[in-house]
Amino acid sequence: MHLRIDDIAKAWNGHTVLSGVSFQAGASDFVCLLGPSGCGKTTLLRILAGLTAPDAGRVRLGDLDITALPPRDRHIGLVFQSYSLFPDMTVAANVGYPMRLRKHSAPAIASRVTDLLERIGMGALASRYPDELSGGQQQRVALARALAGDPRMLLLDEPLSALDPALRMQLRGEIRTLQRSLGIPTLMVTHDQDEALAMADTIVCMNAGRVEQVGTPRALYERPLTRFVAGFIGQANLLSTARVRDMLPAFLDRRPPGAEQGFELCVRPEDIAVTADPAGDGVVEDILFQGARALANVTWRGQRLRAELPGRSSLGAGEAVTVDASRGTWVTT
Amino acid sequence: MGHYMRMRGDRLTPLLIAVPLLALLAFFVQPMLTVLWRSVTDAHGSLTWSNYARLLDDPGLPRSALRSVVIGVATTVAAVGTGLCLAMALHRSRLRGKRVLRAALLLPMLAPSLVLGLGLVCLLGRNGLVHRLTGWPTDIYGFWGLLIVNTLYGLPQVVIIVSAALERTPARHYDAAASMGAGPWRQFLDITLPRVRFALLAAAFLVFTETLTDFGSAVVVGGSYRVLAMEIYGEVVGQLDFAMGATLGVVLLAPALLSVCLGRMAHRRQDAGDARPGLAMVPERHVIRDTALGFVSLFATTAIVAVVGSVAYVSVVKLWPYDRAFTLANYAHGMPDGYGPVTTSLAMSLLAATAGVILAFALAAGLRRVHPRLARPLQVVASLPAAVPGMVLGLGYALTFNKAPLSGWLYGSLAIVAACSLYHYHAQAFLTMQTGMRRVPSTLEDTVRVSGGDSRHVLRDAVLPIAAPAAVATFFYLFMRSLVTLSGVIFLVTPDLGLASVSVMRLDENGFLAQAAAYAMCVVLAGALALGAMRLILHAIKDRRHVA
Repeated sequence: MHLRIDDIAKAWNGHTVLSGVSFQAGASDFVCLLGPSGCGKTTLLRILAGLTAPDAGRVRLGDLDITALPPRDRHIGLVFQSYSLFPDMTVAANVGYPMRLRKHSAPAIASRVTDLLERIGMGALASRYPDELSGGQQQRVALARALAGDPRMLLLDEPLSALDPALRMQLRGEIRTLQRSLGIPTLMVTHDQDEALAMADTIVCMNAGRVEQVGTPRALYERPLTRFVAGFIGQANLLSTARVRDMLPAFLDRRPPGAEQGFELCVRPEDIAVTADPAGDGVVEDILFQGARALANVTWRGQRLRAELPGRSSLGAGEAVTVDASRGTWVTT
Repeated sequence: MGHYMRMRGDRLTPLLIAVPLLALLAFFVQPMLTVLWRSVTDAHGSLTWSNYARLLDDPGLPRSALRSVVIGVATTVAAVGTGLCLAMALHRSRLRGKRVLRAALLLPMLAPSLVLGLGLVCLLGRNGLVHRLTGWPTDIYGFWGLLIVNTLYGLPQVVIIVSAALERTPARHYDAAASMGAGPWRQFLDITLPRVRFALLAAAFLVFTETLTDFGSAVVVGGSYRVLAMEIYGEVVGQLDFAMGATLGVVLLAPALLSVCLGRMAHRRQDAGDARPGLAMVPERHVIRDTALGFVSLFATTAIVAVVGSVAYVSVVKLWPYDRAFTLANYAHGMPDGYGPVTTSLAMSLLAATAGVILAFALAAGLRRVHPRLARPLQVVASLPAAVPGMVLGLGYALTFNKAPLSGWLYGSLAIVAACSLYHYHAQAFLTMQTGMRRVPSTLEDTVRVSGGDSRHVLRDAVLPIAAPAAVATFFYLFMRSLVTLSGVIFLVTPDLGLASVSVMRLDENGFLAQAAAYAMCVVLAGALALGAMRLILHAIKDRRHVA
């Protein structure tokens, strides 16, 4: 079912949280709402769930306008960062909860619960209570519960943020596999750019209540449109037009027309080539070794640049280097 | 952003607010306004300040007011000082036998000031145990008696408040101080004291308010040292001067209100502590500190046990103080009205606790769902009873319900006594309920809504299970308080409707100490059983329902 969000606005006590938010998601798209905390992404999710009413705008799911529909009539699956399982219900009772509220028959609930628990690999733990489970297990149960009511849309609010890194990686894959098999639009709120890049079909990058850019992960990384997106997703060296004229004049050709301050050049660290050269006019300030790669801070013609090197690079701090950039994108400031 | 969320078509929330609010208006606001109105009108119902002018004509009244303040301040100093030492002994010492101290501190919570007063009279009165055993001329009535009883009564509450502040101060603060070379005394001055100062202040205002408004100790050990509470009692019961009683009540209300407000402010200023408190402080051996704290603990434990023990002892002797042969006759047939008053007290307490927990639950649940602009004033009204002396509320009931509509049905009924007791202790009950409800994650409520539930399901599946321990605590708090209450109900009992606490007071007034002691022990025992039941139920909830 196709999700379409038009011009959503919301203010709390005169403070604007969302304004002019619009985007669409296909029937089985995995969309990540990515942005810093306070950018309004969770409020948007709550509006989609029907837990918060928007001041303006429309939400359409398939052919239906659900803007004014109460949450219980939306048939949505929702997963929170904090698991939010019922502490006094077993795993099976938690998963079956939406079906019980909707008055499904006991055998239908039992078979659906068994099926879902098998799919998330928790079949053996059906009679446990949430306080007897690990964080990862609790989040799997919450996911199964969200799917139990045959939702038309799945909403995930930072579902992996409370878990440790190894488990987070594993669950990324599990959620993605599960979602693909369901074929319903899925929105995940996250502030973690790696998570968004790894999981999303489409990233909606938000800042201060507005949508900055919508696109595939690669599009957002390789062709950011704004300075915010360039800085928020991945690392970026941002150079003013004056600096570019001085240092990398070749990029001036592709600069969109506009005021001197209106655009900056974004160069990713991996697109900066650093070569040891006693006669070079760049200097390596320091090197951060990270295993497969290393990040070097280089000062070149008065500008500090961050460059990515192979981890086994023999460059050291204080060495003279020549610097060049192979790729760059102009972004609005 | 507020987490309250008014759902479309939600008819439950208005009901949750309206029922407890109407009850508050009828059974708290109305009687209080009656008292205020009565204090500024004359016999014909026209406005006048003459009642207040009459106060100053009687030289005894300003003196009583001064005495109330003096005893309040003295008790506050004694209880807060001792309470701090006991809390330190429990949390910052290597003393053994902390369980004994904890158990002893439970006793004043089961035995009201009336029973503690009775115990003190049995121990140090003119014919007390000490006089009988040693021949010393003991006479504890007056200032010192009041000071001892009120201090013992206030101690557990001070210890609870200060202990909570100490528990919020984890070991790493002390480790950091020690790493910089601070010794134990420096650590106490620079870490412990600053972290507990607002707790001390809140406890001080609590003890001051309670002492100022306490009636049980005043009537039993006050003697000729008459405080304001006794004057009110004298005006109403002795002279049937209700206008004067109401006027004195307003005079007593003012400092109590101020004290409660200051206490609330202190409480709010308290350091909320760390979100993740970390490891608890494990004190190292320190001979001087442990000896000093041990001495204070021993002294306090002995005093509490001796006073309550005296009541128990006196209740099982043949004819106090002349024939001290052991007998259970006082329990079997010595009680003048049999077990009637005890049964009535139990029934009244059950009614107050049941109605109270339902109303407090509804109000706390309702307030979560409305706009703060509406919630805040309701919150204040619900917490206001903390500032009202039981006696003033009781007087308001007597003035309001003896001629209100339905009075023939209400006045002198169990229901009206239960209502008075419930609203006397409403503030703490409501606060306990509300604190418990804050533990319900708003995301759990959202989950119910998204899963297809409405407000009823939110209450049933998200709020009720997690707030259940708080509801149990609220129920038993109201039950135990109602069981021992005296000041609120003293004007409401009738010959047909005797309460155990009132029987204790009347028997003591007439010199039947042993019988009074037997009634007192029944009350203490019932309270102890209730406390035990509460702990069992809370344990069962944690064990079976996985909610703590």
